[in-house]
Amino acid sequence: MKHTDILIIDDEKKFAAMLAKRIGLRGCHSEVCNDGRTGLKWIKEYSDSVTLILLDLKLPDIYGTKVLTGIKEINPAIPVIILTGHGTEKDRQQCEQLGAYMFIHKPLEIDRLMIILEQIRETSK
Amino acid sequence: MRKKFISSLKIFWPEFHKRKGNIHLEPFYTFTDYQHLWTMSIFVLALTALIPLCIVTLIHYQLIQKSVDSELRLRTERLTSNAKRSVAFFMEERLNALIFTVDEMGYDHLIDNKKLVEILKNLKHGFGGLSDLSVIDMGGNQIAYAGPFNLQGKNYKDQPWFAQGLKNKYFISEVFTGYRELPHIIIAVRSVKKDGSIFILRATLDTERLMQTLTSYKTGEYIDIFLVNNNGVLQTPSVHYGDIFTRTDLKTFNYSTRTEVSMSTCQGVPVILGHSFISTDTVVTPFILVVSKKKQDMMYAWLELRQKINWTVGISVILIVLVITFASTFMVNKLYQIDNAKAQTMLQMEQNQQLASIGQLAAGVAHEINNPLAVINQTAGYVKDLFSFKDEVRDDDEIIENIDSILEAVDRCGTITRQLLGFVRQFDIKIKKVRLKKIVADVLSFHKKESEYRGIHVTVDIPDTIPDMETDSGKLQQILVNLVNNAFQAVTEDGCLDIIGSQIDTETIELVIQDTGCGISEDSLAKIHEPFFSTKQDQMGTGLGLSITYGLVKKLGGNISVHSTEGVGTSFTITLPIKIQERELA
Repeated sequence: MKHTDILIIDDEKKFAAMLAKRIGLRGCHSEVCNDGRTGLKWIKEYSDSVTLILLDLKLPDIYGTKVLTGIKEINPAIPVIILTGHGTEKDRQQCEQLGAYMFIHKPLEIDRLMIILEQIRETSK
Repeated sequence: MRKKFISSLKIFWPEFHKRKGNIHLEPFYTFTDYQHLWTMSIFVLALTALIPLCIVTLIHYQLIQKSVDSELRLRTERLTSNAKRSVAFFMEERLNALIFTVDEMGYDHLIDNKKLVEILKNLKHGFGGLSDLSVIDMGGNQIAYAGPFNLQGKNYKDQPWFAQGLKNKYFISEVFTGYRELPHIIIAVRSVKKDGSIFILRATLDTERLMQTLTSYKTGEYIDIFLVNNNGVLQTPSVHYGDIFTRTDLKTFNYSTRTEVSMSTCQGVPVILGHSFISTDTVVTPFILVVSKKKQDMMYAWLELRQKINWTVGISVILIVLVITFASTFMVNKLYQIDNAKAQTMLQMEQNQQLASIGQLAAGVAHEINNPLAVINQTAGYVKDLFSFKDEVRDDDEIIENIDSILEAVDRCGTITRQLLGFVRQFDIKIKKVRLKKIVADVLSFHKKESEYRGIHVTVDIPDTIPDMETDSGKLQQILVNLVNNAFQAVTEDGCLDIIGSQIDTETIELVIQDTGCGISEDSLAKIHEPFFSTKQDQMGTGLGLSITYGLVKKLGGNISVHSTEGVGTSFTITLPIKIQERELA
């Protein structure tokens, strides 16, 4: 399995697809899951070969915070960035408690994402 | 003085008369017709208080009237009865004297003129009131005479009293003038000579003495005492009915030995009449003693009392009505004030409710907008990437520029939805140290492009000496966003927007946001803080901006005022406490 730089868990298919393409253009590899269960399943399988996870809060099956808890149970070392369109202050606090790496509101600037990815790679070396 | 008087009248005049109809408050009033409530309250209370008063007064009147009437009757009866006894005694005494004279002296003695004169002298001395004495035989011839008139040899055969005198043993006549042309009464005693023939001893009573007796019973000027005969002809002069021998309209009395009292009228005036037939043990006289009292005169004291009662009742009624009016006004005023406060609270609650639901709606809209924005963002970004990463179009600046402007627009939309969300979460209180100048700059940054494009001159004058504020920065930001947005909508090209900050005292700062825009009409000025009032309906204004702003300023413990001249511009002045009190946010 090829190393995955970024795993995108977001139910907005077009958004996720576009983001994945743009990441691809920048020479990185990304995977997309459109709901929480698929996401968790994927992580269970490939938890060793992912650098960063982008997680939406509002998912069709499981709420993002629960997915985050699941991810942390599988592998607490993977940095998870919460990417949401409408997160409240309460969400932010909860996610930070659960060990989220960052809490970012949509729209997302791709350049910023690339910088963050670079930083994570640097620190994990 | 006059003013003081008028203002003191206000306690009787309810407040709701000067109520300015606020159409928004109307549905929340418990009572709609305060005028009716007020008048009904006065009316019902006044009736309950006044009806018993009137009834008691009337009963009292009747009681007094009754007791006065019975008192009058009693007094009249007593007076009549006393006077009657005197008159009867007067007659009886003289009749008895004559009877005694006849029985003692005998006929022979009596016809002796000298002796008769002697007898008259003695009788006059003993009883008085007798003017002459005569002896008359069966044929009516005067046999002997003693007295001041020269009546010697007169014949009385044709005189009406003579026939009566012959018929009865004792006789007392009515008052008549007779030969001597003076009113007098005849007392006759019939007797028998030794030879068996009849003779009469006649005495004349002058009425003078009788009248004196009557007059002595006149205890007051309202009382009239007189004698009448059975035909209602006056036998003594009367004050009310006329001189002696006048025929009166007194109804004929039925004979009775008792004194009787009745109500009658004399020349249309109500009188109380007491009458009694005068009779002695031996003879029935033709006289009826009458006591007449004009009721009106006797009632004088009672009328005076009634006037006093009337005054008292009148003043009481006025007092009662005043007190009732005062009490009703007070109660209805209080009720109105409470109802008014309730209506205002309910209106405010309703508005809050509306704002809250609008807020929820706004939150939903913001959530939904964010996702497509993210898609647009990524798609535009991808298109840009395509151009950036593929060599052949990398240098086409125009396309890149256009895509950049799409991305920038998406950014701005994102900012707006974030602000909207932030605004919706008004209850998230975050007190932070904020620098006014920075917040103003942040807010203006949203409009940087617009002001450049439209040539609007924006000036900010906030001195650095203004201390950092401790307040809810989100709310402050929202206030500024709303006001600056309004200003931008109002100004035309080359217009001005000035934001001037100053410190008023150690606790308060003032911020003036003025523009040279279209201004607000006077009508609208009164309503701009009402939710959903908008003059921008054609431009999709929600009518919430200023209403929300107003609420936010209040929440920050501040005040907002607005001055505007149509066509010249508008200026909003906000005063805010530098350090917000926690409880004000609650």
